[in-house]
Amino acid sequence: MSVDFLHPGEGVVIDKDVPALELRGIDKRFPGVVALDNVDFTLEPGKIHALMGENGAGKSTLIKIMAGVYGKDAGTIRLRGREVDIKSPRDSLKEGIKVVFQEIALISEFTVAENIFLEGYPTGRAGSIDWKKIRADSAALFNRIGFNVDPAARTGSLPVSQQQMVEIARALAHEARVVVMDEPTSSLTPNEVSLLFTVIQRLASLGIAVVYVSHKLDEVFEIADTVTVLRDGRHISTKPIGEHTSDTLIQDMIGRRIDNLFPRQRGAAGSKVALSVEKLSTAKKLDDVSFEARAGEVLGFFGLMGAGRTELAKAIVGYDPIISGKITVDGSRLAPHDTRTGVRLGIGLLTEDRKSEGLMGELPVYQNASLASLGAFARLGFVDKAKEHRAVQDYVDRFRIKTPSLFQQVKNLSGGNQQKVLISRWLMRGLKVIVVDEPTRGIDVGAKSEIFALIDRLAGEGLAVVMMTSEMPELLGLSDRIAVMCEGRLTAIMSRDEATQENILNAAIG
Amino acid sequence: MSLASTASAKTQPSTLARLFARQELALLVCLILVLAFFSVTVENFFSVRNLTNVLGQASLPLIAGIGCAVVFISGEVDISIGSLLATIALPLIIIMNDTNSLLLGVGGALLFGLIIGAVNGYLTAYAGINSLIVTLGTMFIMRGGVYLYTGQRAIPDDASLDSFIALSDGRLFNIMPYSAVIAIILLVAFGYMMRHRPFGRQIYAVGGNQEVARLAGYDVRRVKFVCFIISALLATVAGIILAARVGSAQHTAGLNFEFQVVAATVLGGVSLAGGIGSLTGMALGVLILQFLSNGLRGLGLPTEWQLVITGMIIIAAVAFDEAKRRRANGG
Ligand SMILES: Nc1ncnc2c1ncn2[C@@H]1O[C@H](COP(=O)(O)OP(=O)(O)OP(=O)(O)O)[C@@H](O)[C@H]1O
Ligand SMILES: [Mg+2]
Repeated sequence: MSVDFLHPGEGVVIDKDVPALELRGIDKRFPGVVALDNVDFTLEPGKIHALMGENGAGKSTLIKIMAGVYGKDAGTIRLRGREVDIKSPRDSLKEGIKVVFQEIALISEFTVAENIFLEGYPTGRAGSIDWKKIRADSAALFNRIGFNVDPAARTGSLPVSQQQMVEIARALAHEARVVVMDEPTSSLTPNEVSLLFTVIQRLASLGIAVVYVSHKLDEVFEIADTVTVLRDGRHISTKPIGEHTSDTLIQDMIGRRIDNLFPRQRGAAGSKVALSVEKLSTAKKLDDVSFEARAGEVLGFFGLMGAGRTELAKAIVGYDPIISGKITVDGSRLAPHDTRTGVRLGIGLLTEDRKSEGLMGELPVYQNASLASLGAFARLGFVDKAKEHRAVQDYVDRFRIKTPSLFQQVKNLSGGNQQKVLISRWLMRGLKVIVVDEPTRGIDVGAKSEIFALIDRLAGEGLAVVMMTSEMPELLGLSDRIAVMCEGRLTAIMSRDEATQENILNAAIG
Repeated sequence: MSLASTASAKTQPSTLARLFARQELALLVCLILVLAFFSVTVENFFSVRNLTNVLGQASLPLIAGIGCAVVFISGEVDISIGSLLATIALPLIIIMNDTNSLLLGVGGALLFGLIIGAVNGYLTAYAGINSLIVTLGTMFIMRGGVYLYTGQRAIPDDASLDSFIALSDGRLFNIMPYSAVIAIILLVAFGYMMRHRPFGRQIYAVGGNQEVARLAGYDVRRVKFVCFIISALLATVAGIILAARVGSAQHTAGLNFEFQVVAATVLGGVSLAGGIGSLTGMALGVLILQFLSNGLRGLGLPTEWQLVITGMIIIAAVAFDEAKRRRANGG
């Protein structure tokens, strides 16, 4: 009656007529927030069910209830027709519900292989752990999926994308009936995404019910059989994907239409050089990179995973050491590996990895947002709280950051809303150059359009925006000029008019 | 291409194992340096007699150190072990004096230790009180209780059972003190548990990241609870050996013992933050400190200086460790 991805086909007898999982009338409240309000959600065996909605709509909360992380305030859960009480992650795992969480949940000191079998170690003689089997099975699992991850690596030493692959593999290492993936592709390359889709389709063909959460419409149209949309904690619609177009899906998600994702308001870029990078090389990756960014322009950097965009971003704001090269911000030389002068000269970085490099989960929203610009609110050495709160509130309104108040701890916000808080932090501080690394990762369409408009406005106000992105529409829609990287080298710089999808991809391959 | 993709995955030991191997190797080198230095400078230092004597002395911190390290790895601390050493001597000696039975005395002591461990574990894991505070509290309560009960007079071991006395001065094959043999057996057993039993790995996982451990289906509270019981039971074993050595239950037994153990554990690379370190490291930490103090005494250095030097070594070792770890994570 069960399915093990490592040994597909073994004893698979799944009754296709009984829903794999049925949630009815689920309510969940947090202090000041109704996260779920009478939500129904039914999963059919062998079907891929997309769960969509804006940041803070309640997707992750619904998943965490299935996973036993949160208890529900009301409602019932049925597994294959039988009512169950899921009180802890252990109960949920035992019932074969495997979740890939939005935030990476791995023990960083453990090896990849051990993390994959964390939920249940294969044991041999007298209950001792069979390490050989763990290593062999995890290697086999990666082989089968096609992911390139070293099972013997220390998990914490891997880049986020590979950790995400470990998370995915882990959900497949044990018997499963329901596999839930909460934004599993947020840091994967297109190639890895297509590998994942093959896996998902295979899971479905084995009779497993799959839940897929994503903000990427094209992914959902490619993979899903059914789509459920949540908005403000309420169930809006459940339809076969065939009955949706992008427009109807967006309409369901945000309750309004978006006509133009990339409205250009700003004028042409100036000629003043705001940032100049000459012959920059680092020990890790970058090799002789030179470019200039002008005040008022958006310079988009494209590249495949491992091309070195994140490294470049970190090096030019003084975050990482460099071997050779010269960085000049607004005419002044930036000492390498020195974020202090970077801040003073007015260059800031919006990181890709918000959890470890940016947000302080325990602190309230307003402190996280104002952290980099406390000087602006200072009066006689004290922070003028009222002014600080007004400024933060302004950003909360502008970005529609969903939070019950400015005093909510940031860790309690939904993933996308955390990202918005981080963006506010850097925008609040007057900057001359802002480097953004994957600014819309995990952000819903509605907020995306606001962030695009904001980037446009920042450039319009005279900032130089250096944008690292792997999203082609974003690159083409926003940039004045496009730089392409491959394996640490800059392979092309072209104006927006010269750029086509084809010559960008060619340059990215090298 | 990324780093991982080129490594030949299957044959290599894990990065973590390599890191630990190096860490333990560094400690081993330190130990050998200490031994070499004093062998040259102190007469009779490198003799079977002296080395096995030191091992005998080291057995108490080694045994209690296992528990200390296990609790550290689970992400908590237990500083009540010194007082526990003194406390469990009471049921031990009293029962032996009454019944003339080592078995009953040891059983009573272990039962007492189990209760203390359960109290520490319950208050920390289930009631959610900080473990430093909990064990600081039980440390004072037990010490005070022993003072009250004994009226600050030692309760002598009147039964004088041979088997009990052997714990203090008996030697296996006339060479190795029994207490050191017990320490080695416990070290091997618990070392195996920490590496190769699911429960041992659960302890590492809970200390490494509690939330992740919970998501993996672990009963975080139970794991911590059991760690405190392990710690208390091992401290009880150490306390039984100590009582045999001093031949009585004393209110001052094991004073400051917890700090000696914590120092050696930290020196051995077991992180207070949880999830990092090994029993081998802890054992090497204990041996380094024991041989160091034995050697310094041999050189005629006063105890005051031994304390100062021990303190400096611990800070230097942890600072070195921290620097290394930071480099490993940054790269
Ligand atoms: N532990 C918590 N404490 C308080 N509020 C919470 C908690 N977890 C979630 N919330 C709130 O519940 C609402 C739903 O959040 P949820 O994480 O489910 O959103 P989501 O749909 O997954 O969004 P995203 O696309 O940004 O990940 C949000 O308003 C969030 O702030
Ligand atoms: Mg979410």
